[in-house]
Amino acid sequence: MRYWHDCIAGETFNTDQITLSERDILEFAREFDPQPYHLDREAGDKSIFGGLCASGWQVCALMMRLLIDTFKSNDIALMGVQGVPSMRWKIPVFAGDSLSGDIDVATLEASSDRNDSGLMTCDVKVKNQKNEYVIALQASLYIAHGEQA
Amino acid sequence: MEKQEPQLSTQNRYIRSRWFDDIPVGEFHVFGSHTFSEKEIIEFGKKYAPEIYHTDPEAAFNTPHRGIVASGFHVAAIWMKLMVSYMERFADGVQDGRRNGAGVGVEDMIWFHPVRPGHTLTYTYEIIDKPDKVVRGRWGIIRSRNEAFNQYHERVFSFEIDILAERNPKLL
Repeated sequence: MRYWHDCIAGETFNTDQITLSERDILEFAREFDPQPYHLDREAGDKSIFGGLCASGWQVCALMMRLLIDTFKSNDIALMGVQGVPSMRWKIPVFAGDSLSGDIDVATLEASSDRNDSGLMTCDVKVKNQKNEYVIALQASLYIAHGEQA
Repeated sequence: MEKQEPQLSTQNRYIRSRWFDDIPVGEFHVFGSHTFSEKEIIEFGKKYAPEIYHTDPEAAFNTPHRGIVASGFHVAAIWMKLMVSYMERFADGVQDGRRNGAGVGVEDMIWFHPVRPGHTLTYTYEIIDKPDKVVRGRWGIIRSRNEAFNQYHERVFSFEIDILAERNPKLL
């Protein structure tokens, strides 16, 4: 297992890819974001997005899924998310899009509020199959100190 | 039991139908409350945040979280759910009831305290700025500060978000 003191600023990770179906988009939208352009093709076509598209929060949640899976396969002891200092939705995500992420470790700092973990701040970009960035964000993550703490 | 509807004054019937130009900085709304069940925390966790502290109540006791907690973006998605349902009640006045929607970005999103099964969060929304910017010829930006408080009155979640609102074409 890799703990906070084993992590290195400047390290980069590339996540796996997740493909989003129309059913996935509708399911999330019905529960959390039932706005016409996330539920109905015609309404999507007429909207600012130009088509039925995923809720921005579903894209964020999928980013988290990609990040968690990547940290797991790299044995990094992720203990949660402290915050997202900034995030931009750049272009919409449509049914059939395949998303993957580029994660750059920017800084590693002590955590003032949790003594079991340190903080890792990452720059995360999620792109679609055409290599267009759909969201870009910074994420401050708790990484466990492990046994030595 | 009948669902309780908020009182519709002439003013608040149109909350979601107003032009950007008619939305005042300083306006404050309580979107509503949501109680997180263990089942929904686990469901969201399995799909989007498969860590044992989101998905496995037994195993989660042996983590620093001491039990399962809701994923951060689950807490955020419930903000969206309550906002949509609140705004939909106040969407009279335009054909499709909507002059705003698309989110542009988020700043300073912080999760201060864990949200555990049974916790009830109340979400608030305050308009804090209208940056002087025209987006794609017809949209303005409404910046809001959003917070969620649990049943112990602790602030557990907070962020700022920029959302597009349509500008009155007569004023452009």
